[in-house]
Amino acid sequence: MNPEQENFESLRRLLTLKRHEQPPPGYFNRFSREVIARIEAGEMGADRRSWIENHSWLQSLWRALETKPIMAGTFGAAVCALLFCGIIYSEQSPSLSVGLPVAENPELPMFQASSRPLELAPPTTQYLLTSNAAVPSLPAREMDLFQLLGTPSAQPASLVFPRN
Amino acid sequence: MAEPASRRDARQAQPESRADETQIDERVLVERARQGDLEAYDALVRRYQERIYATVYHMTSNHEDANDLAQEAFIKAFHALNSFKGGSSFYTWVYRIAVNKTINFLKQRRNRTLMSLDDLDFNAEHNPDLVALISERTPRREVNLVELQEKLNEAMQRLSEPHRLVVTLHDVQGLSHEEIAKIMECNIGTVRSRLFYARQQLQAFLSDYLK
Repeated sequence: MNPEQENFESLRRLLTLKRHEQPPPGYFNRFSREVIARIEAGEMGADRRSWIENHSWLQSLWRALETKPIMAGTFGAAVCALLFCGIIYSEQSPSLSVGLPVAENPELPMFQASSRPLELAPPTTQYLLTSNAAVPSLPAREMDLFQLLGTPSAQPASLVFPRN
Repeated sequence: MAEPASRRDARQAQPESRADETQIDERVLVERARQGDLEAYDALVRRYQERIYATVYHMTSNHEDANDLAQEAFIKAFHALNSFKGGSSFYTWVYRIAVNKTINFLKQRRNRTLMSLDDLDFNAEHNPDLVALISERTPRREVNLVELQEKLNEAMQRLSEPHRLVVTLHDVQGLSHEEIAKIMECNIGTVRSRLFYARQQLQAFLSDYLK
């Protein structure tokens, strides 16, 4: 045996201990996934940076938001206020999405007063997005089912039981 | 009965052809990864992750640092794929990136060694070399494997980075002098002399635990 190897035989045996050091179980199953995720995240970050760099005003805004927390907070509050106003405004305005009547004759009133008795007149209007042929051809506001039932007449209740 | 020569030749040629296949396969994967195919790169990472992690871990003796550095090495390699000319194998090239990254990290972290060692696997207790080492009449007979592991890592950390790297690559990971010379970009004589010096140092540091 080579004397150099002989001298280091005990050390070589001790160094085999290093081969038995192993990371936690399942570590290598996650490793490549994490590398690929970091590469993808880096590319997305690079895309975002390049897009911002192409828009100088956005870049200065972004920098201001990054460096000044007060400005970032104000900006966030303004965005929230705008969102809140938008929600309130959308709740107050009438819904115009479904059943909007399209008047054939612009001189006819679009909505009739609901206090009058209903008249099932021949249709003068067409409805958008109506698939059911059985829907009565009434203006949208007058399709209220409670109004169709009419005003209920109230009678006083009698608590006296009839005697036989 | 004598084996036909053609079959014998075929059997001898088999490992060589398998190595060629691996090499070709690797080239295809590298080419696909270069075009942005992350699945191909994932396959390359899976192929070498254990060896790269182990090298960085043995250099740092810290699992968290090794995890970060090994991941960063693979990320850097992905972004630098266009500069990979194919003069060496992808494996050697990634190894070099990981080693350079680790050495730079260790230079910055000098005098601030915090060990976070991986656990020993079950087979360590049954390794005949280690069993013999512990059962021999050493000045500290009561030593156990975990204590030995700590002392060994402390001794490794006392070596300079180039010497620690040579010991890691040769004595722990079993790479040849030629492969180490390619990774470290130096000649084989330098590898041999560094290895000899590093072993001498380790032997001095660990004299209490060696026969």
